[in-house]
Amino acid sequence: MKTLNNIFVLFALILPSFGALVASEIPGKPQDHPIALVGGTVHTVSGAVVESGTILFEKGKITSIGTDVTLPQGTESIDMTGKHVYPGMVDARSEIGLVEIDAARATRDVSEVGTINPNIRAEVAMNPESEIIPVTRANGITTALTMPSGGTISGTAAAIMLDGWTWEEMTLKAPAGLVVNWPSMTITKAWWERRTEDEQKKARDKALDELRDAFRDARAYMKAKQAELQKNIPYHKTDLRWEAMIPMLEGKVPVLVNAEEIQQIEAAIAWAEQEGLKLVILGGYDSWRVADLLKAKDVSVIVNPIHRTPWRRWEPYDVQFTIPKKLHDAGVRFCIASGGASNERNLPYQAATAASYGLPKDEALKAVTLYPAQILGVGDRVGSLEVGKDATLIVTNGDPLEITTNVLMEFIQGKTISLQSRHTHFYEKYQEKYRRIGSVK
Amino acid sequence: MHTSLKSPCHIVYVVVLNILVSATMLIGQIRPAVGIRQNTPSVHAFTNTRIVIAPGKVIERGTLVIRDGVITAVGVNIPVPADARVWDMSGMTLYPGFIDSYSDIGVPKKPIAGGPPGQDQPKPQEQQRGGPKHWNDMVLSSLNADELFSPDTKAAEKLRGMGFTAALIVPQKGIFRGTGAVVSLGDGATNQLLLKRHVAQCIAFETSSGDDYPGSLMGSIALIRQTFLDAQWHKQAMQAAAKYPDEPRPEFVADLAALDDAVTAKQPVIVETSDEMSLLRASRIAKEFSLKFWARGSGYEYRQIDAVKATGVPIILPVNFPDPPSVQTPEEALGVSLQELRYWDEAPENPGKLHDAGIPFVFTTATLKDAGSFLGNVRKAIERGLPADAALAALTTIPSQLLGLEKKLGTLDAGKMANIIVADGDIFNEKTKIRETWIDGKRYEVKSKPEYDPRGTWNALLTGAPIDSLSIILKGEVEGLQGNVKAKGKDVKLTSASSSDLRIALSFLGDSIGLSGIVRMTATSSGKNFLGSGELADGKIFKWNANRTEPFKPEADTAKPKLPVMASFKPVYPPGAFGRSKLPAQPDHLLIRGATIWTCGPQGKLENANILVEHGKITKVGQNLATPVDAVIIDGKGKHITPGLIDCHSHSAAEGNVNEANEAISAEVRIGDILDPYDISIYRELAGGLTAANVLHGSANAIGGQNQVIKLRWGALPEEMKFEGAMPGIKFALGENPKQSNWGDKYTTRYPQTRQGVEQIIRDEFRAALDYEKTWKEFESGKRKIPPRHDLRAETILEILKGKRLVHSHSYRQDEIEMLMRVAEDFGFRVATFQHVLEGYKVADQIAKHGAGASTFSDWWGYKFEVYDAIPYNGAIMHDAGVVVSFNSDSDEQARRLNTEAAKAVKYGGLSEEEALKFVTINPAQQLRIDKRVGSIEVGKDADLAIWNGNPLSTYSICEQTWIDGRKYFDRDEDRAMNGEVQHERAALIQKALGSKKGSGSESKSPPSMGEKERYSCHDDVSGKEER
Repeated sequence: MKTLNNIFVLFALILPSFGALVASEIPGKPQDHPIALVGGTVHTVSGAVVESGTILFEKGKITSIGTDVTLPQGTESIDMTGKHVYPGMVDARSEIGLVEIDAARATRDVSEVGTINPNIRAEVAMNPESEIIPVTRANGITTALTMPSGGTISGTAAAIMLDGWTWEEMTLKAPAGLVVNWPSMTITKAWWERRTEDEQKKARDKALDELRDAFRDARAYMKAKQAELQKNIPYHKTDLRWEAMIPMLEGKVPVLVNAEEIQQIEAAIAWAEQEGLKLVILGGYDSWRVADLLKAKDVSVIVNPIHRTPWRRWEPYDVQFTIPKKLHDAGVRFCIASGGASNERNLPYQAATAASYGLPKDEALKAVTLYPAQILGVGDRVGSLEVGKDATLIVTNGDPLEITTNVLMEFIQGKTISLQSRHTHFYEKYQEKYRRIGSVK
Repeated sequence: MHTSLKSPCHIVYVVVLNILVSATMLIGQIRPAVGIRQNTPSVHAFTNTRIVIAPGKVIERGTLVIRDGVITAVGVNIPVPADARVWDMSGMTLYPGFIDSYSDIGVPKKPIAGGPPGQDQPKPQEQQRGGPKHWNDMVLSSLNADELFSPDTKAAEKLRGMGFTAALIVPQKGIFRGTGAVVSLGDGATNQLLLKRHVAQCIAFETSSGDDYPGSLMGSIALIRQTFLDAQWHKQAMQAAAKYPDEPRPEFVADLAALDDAVTAKQPVIVETSDEMSLLRASRIAKEFSLKFWARGSGYEYRQIDAVKATGVPIILPVNFPDPPSVQTPEEALGVSLQELRYWDEAPENPGKLHDAGIPFVFTTATLKDAGSFLGNVRKAIERGLPADAALAALTTIPSQLLGLEKKLGTLDAGKMANIIVADGDIFNEKTKIRETWIDGKRYEVKSKPEYDPRGTWNALLTGAPIDSLSIILKGEVEGLQGNVKAKGKDVKLTSASSSDLRIALSFLGDSIGLSGIVRMTATSSGKNFLGSGELADGKIFKWNANRTEPFKPEADTAKPKLPVMASFKPVYPPGAFGRSKLPAQPDHLLIRGATIWTCGPQGKLENANILVEHGKITKVGQNLATPVDAVIIDGKGKHITPGLIDCHSHSAAEGNVNEANEAISAEVRIGDILDPYDISIYRELAGGLTAANVLHGSANAIGGQNQVIKLRWGALPEEMKFEGAMPGIKFALGENPKQSNWGDKYTTRYPQTRQGVEQIIRDEFRAALDYEKTWKEFESGKRKIPPRHDLRAETILEILKGKRLVHSHSYRQDEIEMLMRVAEDFGFRVATFQHVLEGYKVADQIAKHGAGASTFSDWWGYKFEVYDAIPYNGAIMHDAGVVVSFNSDSDEQARRLNTEAAKAVKYGGLSEEEALKFVTINPAQQLRIDKRVGSIEVGKDADLAIWNGNPLSTYSICEQTWIDGRKYFDRDEDRAMNGEVQHERAALIQKALGSKKGSGSESKSPPSMGEKERYSCHDDVSGKEER
């Protein structure tokens, strides 16, 4: 119980006004004075580890990192001796805020009717009161790419900060990517498949046509709208779907293609090249089998998740665990994502598994901090500790990829973040029950 | 009572049949003649023919005489009766007619299967079945194939074309399907074709396609077991009822009465099996009820040949050899497992291997997509090691004996039915053609022998054509003529050539020999000459005649005899990837030296310590142990040793649905019936240090099925995986799953739909079990005269009440946890474990007081409403309250890393690392009452150990070795080597498949491809394997 009690003591110090009775955590106050974390080990991720270092941040931005930092007047200095400072972790695949209770339909906002929904925006239904948010950030995850699913084009994903009063305030970048589900390319003979081989092929071809057509129609729309600037070109009525796809067609925002099998990945790469799109592979079960192609085309992979069983009976038991190592060895840009909702908090341990099966430890840490930030286009804001970046960081008592490590403090854009959650509240509540009956002191 | 109903019928039929069989030719014996009587004499003599009387019994040149459908004489110097019609059979070989030992000819077919359970499909059962039938629509034992049979002339003709003259027909629907009958494959009315009825009761492990019981393989087995028990009871109850007419009468069930002969082993029981595990399952049931058991085989028997042989069961064997797998592109090939590749490579050797092992078998066309591929596949089996005589026996003598028709069928001895195959050579030679099939002395032409052989060189003289003569060379087969024409020193290939009766027809491109365009010529043979006409390109007609100048000389067969390509690799267990050729060795002495040992016992954590294992048992733990001379030594420097991990909630190694979800109570179903030792999850879990698992029924029902504790003995048979002496248990489930909250909008009518209903249905079941016991006591004391039935459901519940069976109850909310404890206390037993128990932290004091264990998730929450209050501190809080706590996986994936799950008890709740590790070792062992054997590293316990390359609670550590019973079941280095083997074998077999031709036309059992696991991994409470 010792470690835990320490944590609660810490909460009490930092957040004296937030009692355990608060049902949902109160967002942190905007940083109104400089804060310096002094004397800890600063893991910048992008650069060297600074032993006995200081990190100073003001108005939400990191202003200095080093061993000899001059603290401005009014700086709140917090002693970090024996503690570690890391950038907050980034989960590049999530449904956070969109799904509260998976089995309760009313709490799911991830899958709209129809197959082509590029105009669906994840952020507008991101519920800031989701109990999953405090639970997740308590394990050091400060940023998540939350995204819709279903259909062929699901909608756009948003990078959100895991603290704030409203979704607008929490949104770091939107759209951060357009989610596309690549049609299944293999014909299955499994017992549950009731369609014939032909029917499966037809369904696949139909989905592929639909996907190709959507992008071509959107491009035609973009062209027509741009042409309106010229003389004698009439007005074209608005199509929200194609309007939403313009940033992707212009290559400004990536297309996140959910593709697992080798045929899907190969087809997606060819398609993206043909269409001139910025491609990111989501899932990437077979990505290591086409690592050279991914490298050659500079396609990044959001590997997700690490903790799943091999799909093919004959594959090695650790095939999934070793994907990051293989991509790393081949020089492919990648990151590791949880893909989860309620248990998104286990993201760091998925990275650790990749490390235990060959990925260098520092790469495993990057795979859940700097790399996802770069892939999602928010590398200038989060993912590493650098002057000028957001002061989005965590303080731990050890390696955050170890389960036994705890997050002791957390800052998002300089705001001091509550580490309490529905879980700690229930814990406290029932500690009180057992204190009353005398079984806990 | 029912005996008197049935037996006379039976006798009558036998008598009628005897008359029928011996007097088939007497059409109209009962039916009045229609029109003019047809009385062509039915006396035939086959002369100058090779006669295979029986396998190994051959007359090279002899005569066979039949009269009125019966063989009357066969031999070398047999006089031809004066009244016989003589058939000169020179060049022909006579064989006894084949028997198809499992056929659906003429009986209603099975509906097309497929699709996941629970989807709306037409029910396979008889919808409108009346009479005193069984309550379950899948029990159709009183049906009889002969009554369902209506002759199918087209299908019969096809079977005759392959030499079949008789078939065992079996009903195709349900679990108990009714009895099979032997019919003749000639034309005629059923009355004439029927040879024997009530041959065997037919059973299949079918499941209901709708929402009826049983919806799972284990439910199907449970129903079979209960039905046999009921049949035994039914017989006794009927007798007792007759004796004590003043007692309340038991119900009469025709489908149970129909099983009288089966349960007394007077009538065989055929179980349709889908693979070798299915056969072993069937065999266990047969043994349990001392049945006379035959198996409809699958083609997979060779994979466990010793175990199959040990059952002693005769097998009705299909020859459904798979097509080459789809490996055209490297990407496509990824979807083909090594198991599938090997099966394709090895399957044709199955019959040969059965023969070599001395397992009796007969052949069937069953399961072939195209029955027409049967003979070709038998030939393939012969090429791949099956002796031809054995193949012949499996089609003639053995089935005739098995079916009890050896006096009528199976050989060409005098007195047998005149069921004869006429072939133009060795029937198992691929070039041989079956010319005729005779059934009951009636001739059915298959492919007529050519009347005339036009092959040879002909000199043709043309009249009215631009040239005067040409020579025609005809060669090839009579039924596949080829050739060329020569004139003016030029040689032109025939574009077509055919002969029919005495006529020939040819065509060729005539330009190069002075005849323009395509020339067509036809002619009729008149002995030695051809006389005919032809037509030129311009429509001009010419006449021609021809003489044979040279006889046909077959070209010498210069092709080297084709050597059979045998299977490439030796068997491994389980078949396919990561199987082993034999059980890992158990060294007499094993010493692990200088390791960090997490004993999980009183010795705590030992640094730089040793473990001595002798014959699979731990005999010493400590520092400075003497090294036995023959010891296998493991250098433990830098290594951490823990007890093998134990998963208290698993659904691995179970075949089919782990939920018998179609009834709210299913205490009678057993996971132990459906263990799947081939489940690759076993191996993958070993790689995570797991050595034992509690394989549980799902949570669809308030009272689910019986669990099975196993050791992860990869490569063993199902019975060998069972944890010896582990206390039996049963799954209960509370809350949203049994009340069907997340099953979909359709599921709102099954009782219970509320938590209150769950409580009541459990109480009701316990009360009923006590009432059941009382009824038996009344019978035993003589108060009742008519015996009660053995109710396996009630008996299982009674075991709980008597403390002989552990309750493992799926639960989430505190109210339901308390509820079940109170119910248990009211009935005087203790709940063994609450599973999941995610709100256990709210009533931890109560759970401790009751004495239940808690087997929970480390940190799962929020996936459904009843787990919204789940917190990761649950394990630690319950532990602190004095509850024995374990962390389980409920997942094939998570079961591979329970060590780091344990670490979460350190993170959330601050347990010491040693206490946390106990959550996945000694604590689950205690919960399963196997802690005297496993769960800690202590002297006297089983050497079930995991070796880690670092602190087992570190996310960076991996398991390097896993030992069970002092045998090394997993070794990371060996795994690398095995993986190399897998790649090598796959590459070799893919090459082999690419080089082979398609077309044996079988229905291969396709292995699950990508995607199936995904279905399992959704947290679907109904059919999901992980069902949280």
